[in-house]
Order: sequence, then C-alpha cells, then structure tokens
Amino acid sequence: MTDPRDTVLTHALQAEGTFDPGRAPAGIKRIPSGVDGLATEHLVVNIGPQHPSTHGVLRLVAELDGEEVMNVEVAVGYLHRGIEKLGEHRRYHQLGTLMDRGDYVSGIHGELAAALAAEQLLEVEVPPRGQWLRSLMSEVNRIASHLVWFGTFGLDCGAMGQFLYAMREREALLDVLESVTGQRMMFNYVRPGGVLDDITPDAEQKLRTFLRTIDSYLDEHHALLGGNEIFQKRVRGVGVIDRETGLAFGLTGANLRGSGVPYDVRRDKPYAAYTELDFDVPLGATGDAWDRYLVRMEEMRQAARMCRQCIEGLPEGDVMAKVPRVLRPPAGETYACVESPRGELGVHLVADGSDTPYRFHYRAPSLFAMQVLEEILPGHLLADAIMLIGSVDIVLGEIDR
Amino acid sequence: MWGKGILTGMRITMRNMLRGPITVKYPYERLEIPERARWAVVPKYDGEGKPKCTACMACVRACPDHILDLEFTTREDKSKHIERYSYEIGACMMCGLCVEACPFDAIEMSHDYELARLDPAELTYDLLADVDAVPVKRARPAATPKAELARADSSPAELSREEASDE
Repeated sequence: MTDPRDTVLTHALQAEGTFDPGRAPAGIKRIPSGVDGLATEHLVVNIGPQHPSTHGVLRLVAELDGEEVMNVEVAVGYLHRGIEKLGEHRRYHQLGTLMDRGDYVSGIHGELAAALAAEQLLEVEVPPRGQWLRSLMSEVNRIASHLVWFGTFGLDCGAMGQFLYAMREREALLDVLESVTGQRMMFNYVRPGGVLDDITPDAEQKLRTFLRTIDSYLDEHHALLGGNEIFQKRVRGVGVIDRETGLAFGLTGANLRGSGVPYDVRRDKPYAAYTELDFDVPLGATGDAWDRYLVRMEEMRQAARMCRQCIEGLPEGDVMAKVPRVLRPPAGETYACVESPRGELGVHLVADGSDTPYRFHYRAPSLFAMQVLEEILPGHLLADAIMLIGSVDIVLGEIDR
Repeated sequence: MWGKGILTGMRITMRNMLRGPITVKYPYERLEIPERARWAVVPKYDGEGKPKCTACMACVRACPDHILDLEFTTREDKSKHIERYSYEIGACMMCGLCVEACPFDAIEMSHDYELARLDPAELTYDLLADVDAVPVKRARPAATPKAELARADSSPAELSREEASDE
C-alpha cells in the first residue's frame, strides 16, 4: 500500500513539471541511481564568486542532487578590467604592465608573449644573452607558479601542510625575481627587444642555492602529498579528460599533456633560448587529476634542470637590442605564443603604423581549462568538483582580463 | 601498506617543524631590499641641491597609468618654471617606465615601501613645486680644430694629394 502523502507530492510536482521520473530535466546529463522513486528536487548552488576554493572569483552555478553534481555552469567576468581594450591605448612598451596583471602568478610569460609579438612586427633580433635570460626567468617563474598550484591543489583536497612548504620554496624564487626584475610579482622585465637588465650576482647566488636543494625538496613534497593514500584516493581516476575532449576544448599545457597529447610550445614552436636547452616533455596516460598532478610535478623538475643549463650556458653580450624609444611597427598583424605554466599563452597584435596597437588580443590558456569543467564535473561529488577546479590550475586574472 | 604514506607525511611535517621559521617579525625586523627594487618615485637633485628635472614631459608620456602630471610656465627668456609635478601614488604600479624614459636621470624609484596614508588626499602629492627647471643643454658636436676645418674646405682632389704626400 502506498503512502497517500507520497502520491500527492509526486502528483503536485509532476503538475509543475519539475519532476518526471525516468526523464532527465533539461541539461542534466545523468540520472543518479536510486532516486527515481523519490520525489527529490535538484538544488542549485552558487559556488563563489567570493570563495577561496574557486581560485579567485570564479562562479560556478552547480545543480546538485544530494552530494552529486548534475550540471555545472561556469560564470566569469568578476575580475574584468578590460585589459584588451586598455591595450589599444598603450604603447608597445607599456603592454607588459597589462600582461603582468593578466596571469598574475606568472607575469614573465605574459610579458614575453607581448614582447615577442611586438618584435615580430618590428623584426627585431634579440641578443643571445637576452634570449637566455628570458628562458631563465621564465623557468624560475614557472617553478614559482607551479609551487602555488601545488600548495593550493593540496588545500582543495583537504591537505594543509604542503601549502606552507610550497610557499616557503616559492619565497626563495621571488627573492631571485625581485633581485633581478625589481618586483616580486608585477615584474615588467621583458621588453620588446630584450630584457630590462642583466642578472645580478646576488640573484645568481640565491638561484644556485635554490637549485641545489629543489630536487630533494620536490621529492619531499611529493612524498608528503602524492604519497598520501587519502590524496591518491581523491585524485586517481577522477576528472578524466580524454584526448579528444582535451583537443576539442582547446586545452594546452599540463592539462593537455596529462591526457597524453605531446604538445609543448617550448618544443614545438620554440622561442627565446629553448632550441638550445635540453628538456623532456612529461606526458600523462589517462588524463585524470592524478596524471595532471604528476605532469606538473615533473615539469618543476624539468624547469629546474633548464634553469641550471641557463645559468651555466649564459652567453656574454648585451641583454637588449637597439630599439627606438617609441615603437611604431609597420601595419600588419601577428600572433606570438609562449608556454606559460597554464598552457599556450598567445598575443595577437594588429598594428596600424601608430605607436599603439589597433587590436590587442590575449589567448588565455585558463579560459579553455575553465570551460572543460562544465564537461568533466557532472557525475562527481561536490568535494571532488572543488578538487577538480584546483587540478586544472586556472587563474581568473587571465580568464576575465 | 595502507597508511604508510600518512606516516611518512607526519615524519616530513616533523622534519619541517624542526627546520625553523623563515619569516621575520616585520615592524621590528626588516628584510634587506634589493638594489633594483622599485617603489615610490622620487626626484633626484644635483650636487647643489637643485632638482635635475628639465620639464621635458618624457615621464608624463611614458606613464601607462597617466598619474604623472607636470605643469610648468615658460618665461620670456625661454627658461621653464615647474609649477607642480603631481604624482598620484595611490594609482602608481611602480613599473619604472617613467624612470627609464627620463633622459636627464632626474627621477628614480626609491626603496620607501611604507606608503599607506590615513587621508586619501595625501596619495596625490607634489614631487617638485615652484622650482626652476634646469635648462635643456642640447648636445652639440665638439668644436672642430681649425686644421680640420681647413681640410674640410679644401677640395677632394687637394685632399687626396695631401694624403699622398703624407705617405
């Protein structure tokens, strides 16, 4: 005998069209097992924008069935500053200051992309020492950026200790960057034509000390977080991005390499001094969060390896080519890209012969990594969804611009 | 064995606890600032204590944030008087482009990083007020010796003859 109250409730909900057992509501990709007979409603939860686990100001509109994520919509724009439009009113020298504030965790890469694009338009040749310093500082910044990811990814999984240790390691790198560029985050170091200044003896000594210890520290970090069984249970086999999905969404960087696609801008479209550096491109097998974790951990080791090569092989000479004080590239357009810690960071510049770009577009790798969340989150638990936001390593500064 | 990783982690945490702190107690202890650190813009002065600024406006044009403003008057003898060199530190991002643009080495990025103010109005202030700008000395080619001038005046044929006789 059925409970009359159930019948009434089901009937009322069906009349409103919100519950229809056997047919998924619009946008719902999967009906969870065991709930068909119950008159349950899905709960729409706003995650963010002001929430530390969203890595900035990402807003997720998640449709939940209990603890399970049914559907996710990502909403962006909470950090919009109009960087692309501002770029149309900045001289080519000044674009770096905007790019620093795009991906603020790895400013050197943004500056480098803008500088490369301006150099392609101007047809300027950067002296070898400038090229090598660009590579060196890029790799220093890559380790610093990956350390931030490593720390916060652990936080998203519920671990705490490694965050502080990662920040301690990063501090040494920020000291190096501050000594060379003058700032800890907004460097404004890479310019069209080269770099601002040479490496300082103080920075070189600090970097050598860091590079002597980083491998053992990374082993320790990996043992602390990656060796933890709880962490492994959380990330292994979760959030699988297969090869086709990764390519279809335009993923780049460690997210794509985690899925086994060997694409690295440093190797495939070399810039700066990467043709002369020896490094491996780590690849994942299945594309789950664990693979992305391993790829990024290995990238830090490879970056440290490249830093050593850069310090040893730094050629003598100027760091800056002779460029005019005000750059006026001839009319034309170009695209330059670099491998930022988050993927292929590109700058598309359209010049009209004046001292400011006609159009300045910025390809932010995080934007694509964020969109894949809509694809991979449904079907996971809410706690895993938070972990997966961390696993694709997004920076909202470059998504919203 | 399940749980081995957790025990390893605890050992690592303990090891890190014994490594000691890397932080300093800020207002009482201060870290050394590197030479290239960029903080608030300050004017530079020559040996006599006069500002080196020539009111050429290069810094004003170089600033990506448009926070520098230089008001000056030109007197009858073409000399410039700086009325106000306004600097809005609240919007300054310390990129250093103004210092690089300055052809007369008249401004620099200081190491003063304690820039908080109680009143927002204090965040815009004057770097130089009511001072005379240094007259711009145009670089002229060094005076050519008279013998050289005489050589230049002579015709190419004469020059080649002279060179031949020199040898």
